[in-house]
Amino acid sequence: MKINLPNNVASSQDLTDLILEIQDYARWFEHESIKVKVSIKHVSKSPILSPSATQLIHESESKQPLTMQKLDEILSLLKNYSNNSPTITFTLAAPATNDIKLSLVDWCRKNILPNTLVNFKFNSSLLGGMVVHCGSHIFDWSFRRQILESRDRFPEVLRNV
Amino acid sequence: MTNNTFLQIFLLVNVFIIGGLVAIAARHAYAHFHPHPLEIAEKIHRQSPEAHLTQAMKEHLVEISEKHFQTVLNRSVVELQHSLKSTSARLDKQLNRLGADIITDEMKRYHNDLEQLRKQAEYVISNAQKDITLHNTDLKAQLEKRQVELQAKQDEDIKIAKQRIIQDLDTKLSDAIASFLTETLQHNVDLGAQNAYLTDMLEVHKAEIIKGIIDED
Repeated sequence: MKINLPNNVASSQDLTDLILEIQDYARWFEHESIKVKVSIKHVSKSPILSPSATQLIHESESKQPLTMQKLDEILSLLKNYSNNSPTITFTLAAPATNDIKLSLVDWCRKNILPNTLVNFKFNSSLLGGMVVHCGSHIFDWSFRRQILESRDRFPEVLRNV
Repeated sequence: MTNNTFLQIFLLVNVFIIGGLVAIAARHAYAHFHPHPLEIAEKIHRQSPEAHLTQAMKEHLVEISEKHFQTVLNRSVVELQHSLKSTSARLDKQLNRLGADIITDEMKRYHNDLEQLRKQAEYVISNAQKDITLHNTDLKAQLEKRQVELQAKQDEDIKIAKQRIIQDLDTKLSDAIASFLTETLQHNVDLGAQNAYLTDMLEVHKAEIIKGIIDED
């Protein structure tokens, strides 16, 4: 079984939240299964799920009916992703908007690995661009870095004005 | 050396002659006043034939002899005086000549020494002047060389200082511009406009990112 994480589940924190939601849902699902078995008609209200969790559960239900075993598999896979998936951190000049997040996560999962986890931070001193952390690797493609690197050219540019 | 030797020989000969003359005169005088007993006897013997001469004759003969002896003695004295005077005069003349020669020689030697000293002094002065000229030339050359070196060093220092000032100015200017940009832009970041740029950057550096992740794994 393979699960493609939704793009709005970007970071490890998002994944943890998703796992907790699925766990809650699995607990509720187990209770409801027991009630069905013992013919108890009272049905409790299902926990409110996020769109991501809902999408994930619907995807798993699409081929065959949802079972507790399947939910356990999903949880196990998600925990495995949480522990083993590569993590990339983008530091931007401002808090990342949803579009930016989706765009960058989509790129990472298409070009690097499908279940790559992406964290977002912001630092206004970057001015623009981004700083990418891959474990111990840091790629600084910020505007600030470019300005500081090319500051030796400022006098030359000013002289040519 | 030759004149001195001649003078010494001449003086020694003169002293010898004068000594001989004085000795002869003294001997005659001594023989006259103190006759030898043999001579007295011989005289007596010779006179003995004439012993019969009268007293007046004898006295007359004695007187004549005395006069004759006195005459001879006077003449000898005169001759001796004349000889002494002549010798003295010649000696004076010779001494004067020798003195003059000595003085002339000494003067000549003195003049030669003076000339030699003058030439030596001139040589020394000439050498000193040459040395001074050479030293002056050397000093002048060294001074010019030093001046050129100092000028070059000064130019180099000025050039370095100018470059340093320009570099400092550029650095301060760059810092000012960078500070201006960072201060101005950091509150006006529009990430929405950077979306395409960010994706392009990722595409450009895709290989580096994948390599970084592989390295981490």
